[in-house]
Amino acid sequence: MTFAPRVSRRALLRGAGASLALPWLEAMRPTLARAAGPPDPLRLAVLFVPNGINMADWTPADEGADFALPAVLEPLAAHRRRLLVLTGLTHDKARANGDGPGDHARSAACFLTGCQPFKTDGAKLRAGISFDQVAAQYVGPRTRLPSLELGIEPGANAGNCDSGYSCAYSANISWSSASRPMTKVVAPRLVFERLFGDGQGAPAERAKRLAYRQSVLDHVLEDASRLEAQLGRGDRRKLDEYLTSVRDVERRLTLNEADPPADAVGVPERPPADYQEHIRLMCDLMALAFRTDTTRVCTFMLANEGSNRSYQAIGVPEGHHDLSHHGNDEAKKAKIRDINRFHTAQLAYLLDRLAQCAEGEGSLLDNALVLYGSGISDGNRHNHDDLPVLLAGGGRGTIRSGRHVRYADETPLSNLFLSLLDRFDAPIERLGDSTQRLTGLEA
Amino acid sequence: MRLGPLARCLTSVFACAAAAAAGDDVWPRLVRESCLTCHSGEAPEAQLNLEPVVDAGLAALDLPHLDRLHALLRTGAMPPPEEPRPEAATLSAALDALDAERQRRAAAAAHPGRVTLRRLNRTQYNCTIRDLFGMPDLRPADEFPADDVGYGFDNIGDVLMLPPALVERYLVAAERIAQRAILAPETYQPPSQSIEGSEFVSLDGVTAGTRRGRHTLASSGELAHDVSLALGGPYEIAVTASGDQAGDEPPRMVLRLSASGESAGNEKREIASFDVAAVAEHPETYRTTLQLEPGEYTLWIDFVNDYYRPEPGGQGAEDRNLHLHAAEIRGPLHISQAMTPESHRRLIVSAPSAASDDWDERARAGLRPFVRRAYRRAVDDEEVERLVAVTRLAQPNGESFERGMQLAVTAVLTSPQFLFHVERPAERQAVGDREPLGDYELANRLSYFLWSSMPDDELLALAERGRLRDPQVLDAQAQRLLADPRSATFLDSFAEQWLHLRELWRLTPDPKRFPDFDDELRAAMWGETRALFEHVVRQDLSVLDLIDADYTFLNERLARHYGIEGVSGPELRKVPLADRRRGGLLAQASVLSVTSNPTRTSPVKRGRWVLEQLLGEPPPAPPPGVPPLADDSGKKELTGTLRQRMEQHRADPSCAVCHRRMDAVGFGLENFDAIGAWREADGGAVIDASAELGPGQAFAGPAELKALLRRDPAGFYRTLSQKLLTYALGRGLELHDRLAVEKIASGLAAADGRFARLVSEIVASEPFRFRQTEGDEP
Repeated sequence: MTFAPRVSRRALLRGAGASLALPWLEAMRPTLARAAGPPDPLRLAVLFVPNGINMADWTPADEGADFALPAVLEPLAAHRRRLLVLTGLTHDKARANGDGPGDHARSAACFLTGCQPFKTDGAKLRAGISFDQVAAQYVGPRTRLPSLELGIEPGANAGNCDSGYSCAYSANISWSSASRPMTKVVAPRLVFERLFGDGQGAPAERAKRLAYRQSVLDHVLEDASRLEAQLGRGDRRKLDEYLTSVRDVERRLTLNEADPPADAVGVPERPPADYQEHIRLMCDLMALAFRTDTTRVCTFMLANEGSNRSYQAIGVPEGHHDLSHHGNDEAKKAKIRDINRFHTAQLAYLLDRLAQCAEGEGSLLDNALVLYGSGISDGNRHNHDDLPVLLAGGGRGTIRSGRHVRYADETPLSNLFLSLLDRFDAPIERLGDSTQRLTGLEA
Repeated sequence: MRLGPLARCLTSVFACAAAAAAGDDVWPRLVRESCLTCHSGEAPEAQLNLEPVVDAGLAALDLPHLDRLHALLRTGAMPPPEEPRPEAATLSAALDALDAERQRRAAAAAHPGRVTLRRLNRTQYNCTIRDLFGMPDLRPADEFPADDVGYGFDNIGDVLMLPPALVERYLVAAERIAQRAILAPETYQPPSQSIEGSEFVSLDGVTAGTRRGRHTLASSGELAHDVSLALGGPYEIAVTASGDQAGDEPPRMVLRLSASGESAGNEKREIASFDVAAVAEHPETYRTTLQLEPGEYTLWIDFVNDYYRPEPGGQGAEDRNLHLHAAEIRGPLHISQAMTPESHRRLIVSAPSAASDDWDERARAGLRPFVRRAYRRAVDDEEVERLVAVTRLAQPNGESFERGMQLAVTAVLTSPQFLFHVERPAERQAVGDREPLGDYELANRLSYFLWSSMPDDELLALAERGRLRDPQVLDAQAQRLLADPRSATFLDSFAEQWLHLRELWRLTPDPKRFPDFDDELRAAMWGETRALFEHVVRQDLSVLDLIDADYTFLNERLARHYGIEGVSGPELRKVPLADRRRGGLLAQASVLSVTSNPTRTSPVKRGRWVLEQLLGEPPPAPPPGVPPLADDSGKKELTGTLRQRMEQHRADPSCAVCHRRMDAVGFGLENFDAIGAWREADGGAVIDASAELGPGQAFAGPAELKALLRRDPAGFYRTLSQKLLTYALGRGLELHDRLAVEKIASGLAAADGRFARLVSEIVASEPFRFRQTEGDEP
């Protein structure tokens, strides 16, 4: 919310206009270890890519610690010892299971929920709570934002997105309840304001505004409860959605607001036109949010599922989705590989950022779990077994990384979610189609 | 015709009996003779076993299957062309029976449905704020997270989510709007104009040039910049300057002001002078405050004490110079009545007086009419009093009445009563399982349908007098709203979404293949579509002009793209067409581009777009187990034009059923490349744009294709009716709406497709004016 002081936002934004060179957020410079305090918390980041991966260039040939990086993973070479490549995991609930076509929409809706989305273009939208949101329920109350949802492409803006599935399924991966996707924010400046507020003025001024905001929200809550009494059941559910969010915002009013670090300058008014710059700016903001402990849970869709974006900057003028139906054409597969590599290079950028933030004896990356992957394996076959998934970061010493692990076919990806939730002290026994905890992650 | 449940039931019984009589005879026979070879047994084609029809007639099938059967039969896709065709009379009787059965089912299922409580979407929020405060330049919702899309539109309650990220923006937007709408001393920020030093001009030629934004005077001289002030009052002029220090005094800077413009004298009035002791690395800001009338001025900045002494040794001369870094003119510094916007004067309705309880009375007077408009309904005293209490929050802080009113406005704009389309069963008059909407609810439905905005005073007044439940009054109002300029948002919003043209803004055609494509062309493409749609609506023409017309709208850029001569200049204008390649949506570059891939055309996407968006024949999903377009089994390479390659894999009969018609449309448009320019060849091979929509429906090229489609408009009428009703209601259509859609579509057909009639039919329809009584919902 918007309660931080705005020392000189205008100057700050003007500064950004003047120099558009990366990095915008100087906050990502290596910093000295923080003063002794509570131990640095565990953070969860999820990066999603659409349309599957060219698996021949993703899956390492060897298992264990001695694995060579295939072409798609090469950009991550500098972080090799921080990688755990997980092969053989499956999302059964992304399969048709009688619902017909729509693998793209299903794969995104299922990606973090492990649930079969209900096939609808709107009414009775339903998937399941996503595991990042479960984590946020447990660690969120300790930070200003329980979670942060980022993206590059706004919700799809026309038509039904995939064979009778609402666009909401393809455009969101975080679900705070079975019926509530968490709309992502795509404008960097709005992300910055979510983190640090748009406040300005002296402390007394801010305190006054805070009190006013509380009164306004109290008024809203009272209005809503009066209204609720007059509504039917279906409408009440929608109003409850609003109330939940209002309470969430109100809760945040009572927390101490963090000032943006003095060196966090220059978030541009408008999203950068260049795709890579946009992604990197979002990565900067994610690292900033983690570093300041403004949130501990963040998901990021590098593109919406089914995206037909072209990648002209890397010499791929075709649409990604169009290409992904490659029909085993080698030239097309090579282009998909290039797109895949482009995306892992952005992951490498995020990992660089996290590794540059000193924490304790190590870095923020040591205290993070970064999950990266797609809900589709091969874009041509639309299969949801053998998913491309990797985990980066040390998870506060709970992950034995620098390895490639192969699991038995049909092992639910949801099992991984259970294991990761353990690390957030979330005592969850089932999520989506999980059957048990995933073994083999531990140090 | 409105039917109570009992009447509907009786009608159904008769209809059923009649249909059964027809179906008894025709369908079992047709199925036996023409279908069972493939559609029977353990593994029937398309997983459709028609054996039950032999015994039970059409009653054996559910409605989706009846629809599918209807589409396949009507278009001649079934029985497959290679099989013997049934007699024409049999086919026609079977179609009639099928129609009757579908009608019967639709009538039996009909009820007005319910619209889920939905919030304003971004477009509606912006328009509502514009009309509520009369401030068209405010577009606060542009900052909100994108609205999700359901059923093709972004105003569908079921998918309009309310995440915390949005509620945060609601609060911030409400505060900012309140501060713009009401000027309060606590929040007033005087407008300011900033001028960089380098933007000043030298009229006497003394300048020593500009460097990194600053302007240097090396000899005595003056710099000037024009300043325009809309309002009179106290202003602050702040000049940031520095100097090269030399001699026995610092550089002296004099500020002067003269009236500019033709009639003005040239007299420069000195307003301040400063000794500029700062050095270039650390400039300082020198301020002066003065009273100014509105008008055009020139601000002069003079350097008056130049000093220069060359060093005899030839190095390090003593040189005094003035550097002008920037100037800022800020003001009026205080609020005056003249600068208050209309919204301020409507909310702060009276000046304060000595009476101590004056505050509440003034708050009430301003809030009551405001809240009625903001909540778009009648308000009660208690609601107003609770908001008056909010204004009083300013009092303990010693803040102004205006500040208090800002708080109340913030509370209103954050209230669910403002943010949602609230439809309360306040005047419940249930008739059986349905109840009429109240007057205010109708006013809101109407204005958000046709304006994307709140009802105006006339609509609210009619609602207050209970007049809108009169269908004639409602229709007259619908036509008034449609004719009003505010319906421009409806035209944009509906056309853009129905036709999938929002994708146009994201399109990235391969620059190597399409070097001509740029934003100017992109804008012209949308302009053409928008202009045609607007023309049809505003002139109340037949909507069939959207399918095919002998005119279109071009500017020079688009005409060049189309190879049409004689159009110059950037503005779009109506252009008659010599041939019918162009004309109608199908032949517009906008539609042709959004249904293409970045590097090539996609006949399948184009075909599917026409079938779904125009003809209402969504192709069913591919049956399970269909292999992807090509697999790695080592088949020979697919070669030839795109069409030839497609026809090779259409050899599979299970694909052919649906693809035949879909692809035929796409092939007919193959003369248009991926950005809609005309071409005769693709990859060296001459394009063959001839195909067959169905038996006896052969065509060659887009002109004949469009003529064929225009000749049989029933599907288009129905589809447009469905799309517009979806948009008007903000919910997906269900089986229970089908009867209403049929009625709207037949009304449209009876009026030869005139758009105004379509709007009338929608507004008069059951789902628009009624709703299902709650109870049987989960």
